[in-house]
Amino acid sequence: MGRATPWALALGQMALLVLLGPLVTGVIQKLKARLQCRRGAGILQPYRDLTKLLRKGTVQADTAGSFFRAVPVLVLASTCAAAALVPVLFAPPAAGSASPLPLGDAILLLGWLALGRFLTAVGALDAGGAFGGMGASREMTVATLVEPVLMLVVFSVSVVAGTTDLGAIAGHLSLRRGSFGAPDILALFAMLVLLLAETGRIPVDNPDTHLELTMLHEGMLLEHSGPGLFCLVLAHHTKQIVVMALVQALFLPWIPASTAPFALALGLGAFAARTLVLAIFLALVESSYAKLRFFRLPQFLGIGFLSAFLAVALRLL
Amino acid sequence: MIGAYAAGATASLLAPRSARTARALGHSGLCVGALAGVALAIRCTAGGASGTTLRVELPSLFPFAHLSLVLDGLGAFFLLVVSIVAVAAAVYGPAYLRAHGTGSPAVEVLGINLFVGSMALVLCAGDALTFLLAWEGMTLASYTLVVSEGGEADAHAGLVYIVMAHAGTALLMVVFLSLASHAGSFDFAAIRAAATALSGPERSVLFFLALAGLGAKAGVVPLHVWLPLAHPAAPSHVSALMSGVMLKVALYGVLRLGLDLLAPAAGPLPPSWGWTVLVLGSTSAVIGVLYALQQHDLKRLLAFHSVENVGIILMGIGMAMLLARRGGAADALAALSLAAALLHTLNHAAFKGLLFLGAGSVLSATHLRNMEQLGGLGRRMPWTAWLFLTGAVAISALPPLNGFVSEWMTFQALVLGGGQLRGGAGLAAVVAASALALTGGLAAACFVKAFGVTFLGRPRSARAAEAVEVAPSMRAAMILLAAVCVVVGVVPGYVMSLLDAPVVRLLGGAGPSALVTVRGPLVLSALGAAGAGTALSMTAAAALFAALALLVWGICAWPRAAARRLAPTWTCGMTPQSRFDYTATAFAKPLRFIFAALYRPRREVEKETGPTPYVLRRLRWEGDVVDLAETELYQRLQAGVMRTARAVRSRSTGRIHGYIAYVLITLLLTLLAFGRG
Repeated sequence: MGRATPWALALGQMALLVLLGPLVTGVIQKLKARLQCRRGAGILQPYRDLTKLLRKGTVQADTAGSFFRAVPVLVLASTCAAAALVPVLFAPPAAGSASPLPLGDAILLLGWLALGRFLTAVGALDAGGAFGGMGASREMTVATLVEPVLMLVVFSVSVVAGTTDLGAIAGHLSLRRGSFGAPDILALFAMLVLLLAETGRIPVDNPDTHLELTMLHEGMLLEHSGPGLFCLVLAHHTKQIVVMALVQALFLPWIPASTAPFALALGLGAFAARTLVLAIFLALVESSYAKLRFFRLPQFLGIGFLSAFLAVALRLL
Repeated sequence: MIGAYAAGATASLLAPRSARTARALGHSGLCVGALAGVALAIRCTAGGASGTTLRVELPSLFPFAHLSLVLDGLGAFFLLVVSIVAVAAAVYGPAYLRAHGTGSPAVEVLGINLFVGSMALVLCAGDALTFLLAWEGMTLASYTLVVSEGGEADAHAGLVYIVMAHAGTALLMVVFLSLASHAGSFDFAAIRAAATALSGPERSVLFFLALAGLGAKAGVVPLHVWLPLAHPAAPSHVSALMSGVMLKVALYGVLRLGLDLLAPAAGPLPPSWGWTVLVLGSTSAVIGVLYALQQHDLKRLLAFHSVENVGIILMGIGMAMLLARRGGAADALAALSLAAALLHTLNHAAFKGLLFLGAGSVLSATHLRNMEQLGGLGRRMPWTAWLFLTGAVAISALPPLNGFVSEWMTFQALVLGGGQLRGGAGLAAVVAASALALTGGLAAACFVKAFGVTFLGRPRSARAAEAVEVAPSMRAAMILLAAVCVVVGVVPGYVMSLLDAPVVRLLGGAGPSALVTVRGPLVLSALGAAGAGTALSMTAAAALFAALALLVWGICAWPRAAARRLAPTWTCGMTPQSRFDYTATAFAKPLRFIFAALYRPRREVEKETGPTPYVLRRLRWEGDVVDLAETELYQRLQAGVMRTARAVRSRSTGRIHGYIAYVLITLLLTLLAFGRG
């Protein structure tokens, strides 16, 4: 395999995820609307919102400085960099040998997402309103509780695979498919709890509201507008699909190991089907539960920690 | 090098008349000394995997021992770390002291030269006596600097510091003296040879004594209480040295004793050592960052982060101790783990130095340390703000800077090592990795707060509103350290060769440049069991990030019809003012709630309402958190000491008969206890 091919594949998958991100949000919103007996907007609505934002001008808070302008750009860039790290259509069969310049592993993926979150929070504080600070404070609090559990879930898989490289993990798991044991089930359960937190959905956050008592993520975006808001919203869509792809790479890796066009098409179909399942899961949870009180979240995420810990313990003991 | 430090110290004494000359001369002495240190260290580490060892015999001062200086790969690496921060501090110092100095210039300059000089001597010490003398010199010089700015609080900080430091030194003296009496000489080589004859329990007792002594200096929980008091009290560039470097000298001691002098001749180290260090490290990391979150004093917050980072380094050292000399893949992982710890040593020195210098710039521009009175400095001091943000991203272990690289290596060592060890030890290692992730998340939250409240939003006081950017020399010092953060973050492979000499010196086998950068300097790899492994090219990742940022920026900056407008932030119809900005206390409140068991937060709210409870006339809020180690351990200890003292006093009646009776009873007991044989 040439030097360019792994890079081209990674960049292609990244572009695919960035382009499909808004669609997933649209599908989830449509499903929610149908579950609530509404017709709802079309599934392409997020794209329309994004193009509208891109065309608009910017209103900037008069207290904000250079950080405020730089933050959206850096946030979108870091989220896209994370999107280049998950295998979607293709997982290299041999560990770590696929690329002469490997782009990174699961830890770097979580690192890029954390950078995006860090910078979003910084941008929220620059505008100098109470809502931004409140959103930033809550988002960082939830993130500190989510991150160790997420790492533990990744580690529960990587202590077996001997690597934290997502492509290699997916390849490793694809080879021994069918052996889906108790640790996998526990870790998958923990991951689904985290999926709700990482994508900012009920019961952790409510993406549909701008009420100060309930919002986490939206509070940080309140002062952004125009292209800046475009970057942050697109970054949020992308992050959602990246976390979904992460779930699939760790637990449902029926990802082809060849780059033949037919295999890639098959991979795309499989990816679409699995993503749809996760989207239905999110829509069902959002429609059937209420948002938890903020200070109940540690207990909710504690369930995730407990099952991830048990998964690791079962693997190692 | 030592000569230049001495020259800097004496120059300050010769020119006491003009404060400015004294500071300039003293700091140039420091700078020359530190540059010489860099050159020396690079010469020593560049000698390939074995490294070059320099040896200088000193004139005999004592009849019972001769003193010598020996610089091997391990010492040279730490000397490099010390010297880099010392260069930055030397460039930064004069302008800072001119703007904010309150002490006597002679004392400041003498102190800092002696301080850095004795740190260098500790690292070069070839025998136990030189080590202890230089160690004591380091403590005393830094004590002088802590109290140099005067003030009641500083004096208290200095007192706590010197008591804790001397307790540590006393333990170290016990260790070294008993080793020296075994060996019959103070020389490290003789001690190393004699230590192989020690029995297992003796060895372990000595190691734990040394760990306690060194831990007191390194600020390991629960011996950290002096650190958040003493570090903020010193002038900021000295804080950078104390936090960024002096703690590392204590970690050098842990490595020197644990993996070199006291290590058994062959076979793995006792597992209890690695366990203890790993658990101490994880505890320090999590507790340090949790307390840092609740601080509103910028320098105190940074001091607590030093506790955290020492913990992270100790996690790497502990894992290396657990895995060392087990053979097979474990050896390679031990080398990876130790390399991660050493790299984090360098990284922490760089970003903590940068952050302390940034805090010093804020201090010299506003004379304020309390974040709640700052705000809005980002527009008035853009250089300081962006450089502080660089340090904040690095310390929060976020890509693409250096903190991420060393934590990535620590993660790999813990997880892959956990897979190797399996069983309880493996589970502990993976849980420690999860604690490291928690630490990273909390650090990110803490620095969003520290950076956001200090530099963003509206100014909360008149002094913050009138701040001006600091002098170019201060900026240059910060840029130097920020450059280290970026370079180590983006091309970490080239730094690995510096780690070869110390790792090979301590563990034998292959060095990190043969293991981590096995696929060329641009790719870092961590090898797991049976051919599996992880590889990562920070260079490629950073290039991708930069390209994406440029692309997105291009899309956003595309000219469009509507121009950028400025408007006040919407504050629900009221006039926007700085009181609408989120404060540091409010920002940290959710975590204060969640970890209330640890913080034991206290708060008092006084409300004065109007005719109805909905009209609030006046509100007073007061709250703080306690350091559990302080209340549960030290205050109880203090109470115990006081109780004993009172009991002794009530029995010291002043009558001679009573004392004779005490002497007799003691004699009788001594004879009963020891007189049988």
